[in-house]
Amino acid sequence: MDKKKRTRELIVFAVIVLALLAGCLLTPSGGESEPIQEVMRDAVLHEQNKVSLFGLIEVNPGLISAYIVTGILIVFALVCRLFVIPKFKYVPGRFQLVLEQIVGMFDGLAEGSSPRRNKFLRAYIFTAGVYIFVSTLFELLGIQVVTTSGHAVSLPAPLSDINGAIALGVMSYGVILFGGLIAAGVGGFLHALKDFSLPISMSFRLFGALLSGALVTELVYYYAALSYVLPVIVGVMFTLLHALIQAYVLTMLVSTFYGESTEKHEKKPKAKKVKKSRSETAA
Amino acid sequence: MPLNINLQQILLHALNFVILFGAMYFLLYKPVKSFMDSRKAHYEKMDEDAKAVLAEAEKTKAGYEAQLKNADEEIARRQREANEALQHAVDERRAQAEQQAGEIVRKAQEDAAREHERVMEQAKGEISELMSAAAEKLVLSSTSDAYDKFLDTAEERKDNG
Repeated sequence: MDKKKRTRELIVFAVIVLALLAGCLLTPSGGESEPIQEVMRDAVLHEQNKVSLFGLIEVNPGLISAYIVTGILIVFALVCRLFVIPKFKYVPGRFQLVLEQIVGMFDGLAEGSSPRRNKFLRAYIFTAGVYIFVSTLFELLGIQVVTTSGHAVSLPAPLSDINGAIALGVMSYGVILFGGLIAAGVGGFLHALKDFSLPISMSFRLFGALLSGALVTELVYYYAALSYVLPVIVGVMFTLLHALIQAYVLTMLVSTFYGESTEKHEKKPKAKKVKKSRSETAA
Repeated sequence: MPLNINLQQILLHALNFVILFGAMYFLLYKPVKSFMDSRKAHYEKMDEDAKAVLAEAEKTKAGYEAQLKNADEEIARRQREANEALQHAVDERRAQAEQQAGEIVRKAQEDAAREHERVMEQAKGEISELMSAAAEKLVLSSTSDAYDKFLDTAEERKDNG
């Protein structure tokens, strides 16, 4: 009796799912739709889909995402500062443990890679790591905004915008450069200056990694047939992995290069040229 | 610009990040870090206090051990003294006993010598008495025989006669 009932329920469930699937695939999509080539091209270049920033200027959607992420993080920090941190105990609770683990992790990373004058670096990589992680996860929310051209786009990760990635890459390089100057003098500054390709590599690494995730997700969502079950793996798992990996990679790179630029650079003694005697030369 | 790179937007992103950095530093990082540092300092102080207490305890233990060692030495010294006193008393008693024994022996020897002399004197007297008795007896026996013979002869002659 129970078995028959369960079979009937399963059949009803399957029929509903199939009916909805057929409805999704067969009914025409409303509104204007862009071809996938344009969508992909615009995800990279942001030529068409601009969003108005308070009616002042037209910006890439990534900048709006960056502001929203910053707002979320500041509100979170404020709530923690006002309601959580005053109640901290020497034996931590779960939430306190999470906060301490995050701070301790970035502290440990900075301390391990760059043992000299790393106070600023600790705070910097903490903020950068949290920002990259949260902003990458932000694209999972899929918040919709209307562009100036009238299309609806979901807000991407801020660092999938080339401008955001360049800003973070250049700032990270600036931290390395001036950290070297302050800690190790002109030698440290020049040492960091030698790696002039660093801001480009860091910027484009971030941009490429996050953009690729965005493109794959965009591609998957573009075709209705692919947008069942698969997004759970592609969207969520890839985004989580990206968030973790990119946060770790950038903070690790910044710490390592900062450590190199802040260490003492001693001049190598010049090797004396020994003049060979005539007899040795003749021999 | 290639790739639609826009300097204004780069600066807007940078401004956004700087604001975020300031907020995260003052609202989250610094308070959490200072709390962690204060807790670390607290536990380090506890550790140092514990180490100081431990060092004090070790010192006290060493003092007690030294006292115990001294007590052991004191006990050993007193035991040695007691043994020596005992040995001395034993030796004294033994000497006294030997002296007493010597006196007893000497006295016994003197008594024995005196008894010997007395016995010898007594024996001498008895021997002389016995000798005189024997001599007397001998004399008497020889005279009586001659007398008897005389009497016998006299009687025979009387009978014959």
